Amino acid sequence: MDFNITQKVMHDTLRLDEVVEFAENPEPRCPCVLLLDTSGSMQGDPIEALNQGLLSLKDELVKNPLAARRVEVAIVTFDSNINVVQDFVTADQFNPPILTAQGLTTMGAGIHKALDLIQERKSQYRTNGIAYYRPWVFMITDGEPQGELDHVVEQAAQRLQGDEASKRVAFFTVGVENANMTRLNQIAVRTPLKLKGLNFIEMFVWLSASMSAVSHSQVDEQVALPPIGWGTV
Amino acid sequence: MNISKQIAQWRIVAASVCGTSHLRNKQLCQDAHHWQILADNILVAAAADGAGSASLGKVGAMLAVETAIENLSSKGLTRSSLTNDANVRSLLNDALLAAKKAVEQEAVACEKQLADLATTLIIMVATPEVVAVAQIGDGLAVAKDRLGNLLAVTMPDSGEYINETTFLTSPTALDTAQMRLWRTDIVNVGIITDGLQMLALNMVVGEPHKPFFFPLFEFVANAEDKTAAKEQLVKFLRSERIAQRTDDDLTLIIAAFNNS
Repeated sequence: MDFNITQKVMHDTLRLDEVVEFAENPEPRCPCVLLLDTSGSMQGDPIEALNQGLLSLKDELVKNPLAARRVEVAIVTFDSNINVVQDFVTADQFNPPILTAQGLTTMGAGIHKALDLIQERKSQYRTNGIAYYRPWVFMITDGEPQGELDHVVEQAAQRLQGDEASKRVAFFTVGVENANMTRLNQIAVRTPLKLKGLNFIEMFVWLSASMSAVSHSQVDEQVALPPIGWGTV
Repeated sequence: MNISKQIAQWRIVAASVCGTSHLRNKQLCQDAHHWQILADNILVAAAADGAGSASLGKVGAMLAVETAIENLSSKGLTRSSLTNDANVRSLLNDALLAAKKAVEQEAVACEKQLADLATTLIIMVATPEVVAVAQIGDGLAVAKDRLGNLLAVTMPDSGEYINETTFLTSPTALDTAQMRLWRTDIVNVGIITDGLQMLALNMVVGEPHKPFFFPLFEFVANAEDKTAAKEQLVKFLRSERIAQRTDDDLTLIIAAFNNS
């Protein structure tokens, strides 16, 4: 038999996509902590609107298959206590909680908790060989720090500013209704946004679109976030 | 019995294809590659990935690979000139410098910021007994030796976050460049850009994935018809199986030294 002919036939029938195997790697993760004010002033319409908004966040994220597997959501609430209502889960596993509102506004302790969660999550990613994007914290409040010592808030603000400067986190602040925007501006690095009315649904749709854009982004892309229709500076 | 005695030589197949996300946004493929087989069985190859955020990333990538290969090709390399490690390093360094300079000059000529032409760059010099690679940014280069070991010649250099890396145009580019040299019996070499990283690299153990590279190496070793082989490679890179896993631009350079 002529060897060259045999080889030629083999070559023609060899399909690369049938023989090349891919490494099974965990999906890269795009972590986002929702840091939510559940103090007494959020009672009634605000907390209901926020709960509706969380449902729409889930709905929007799962519409995008890549975002559903890559975006990880955690929820920390702050009132008189700090609660991790939801530890990090990928969007497809996320069951939005129904939040209730009562008590004071221990925002400083909340910020610390959110930054702690991110630090721990990153170390888990590294241990497990999971690549990740820059984490986001999305803080929503209708007030200002209340019910904790000044230096706790001051420390939280300093830590947040340091983490933002060293790109450890991107921290966004959204003020609702009577939020003290001046005070929030002193705490955060990025200019806080004022939510129009109780338009949480539109805000979470935007957040979903933004996280989806980030979770698709390639090397060193400056991700252009969608225009904000739900708030004002 | 193999009666068709082949002449000892490199066989190489390479392709860059546009990622589905770039197709969707009507963007150009930001990847580029170039290679030459020089006298004395010396293979020089380069791949670059222009930054998606850079408006002229494609220009930066093309300029970088072409300049680097031209620079290496003009040196009158011989295998004996590659026996000295310091020589090899300075060759690669020169090629990186030339590529960086070309990109800088282009930025000036187009009145653009240097960052607008941001690109990664991988340069390889390979002979049957040595492989040497210089790399800025992510992507990776591999080689297979005669014993069947897959050598991770370079590894992706990304920052903490998956969507960050170093570019040829970064001020610290040359200081942070990876420079690797292996002396062993080289049978195959390969280069990929970051679009294929998740498929070609086992992230948990941090090693290139043999079942990805070995069938490709076998394919190129048997690729007698260059045009058909390239078509097949492009088809593979555009296949549904790949599109399901990555939407980035993809470059793959694979070569085999046939010495039978």
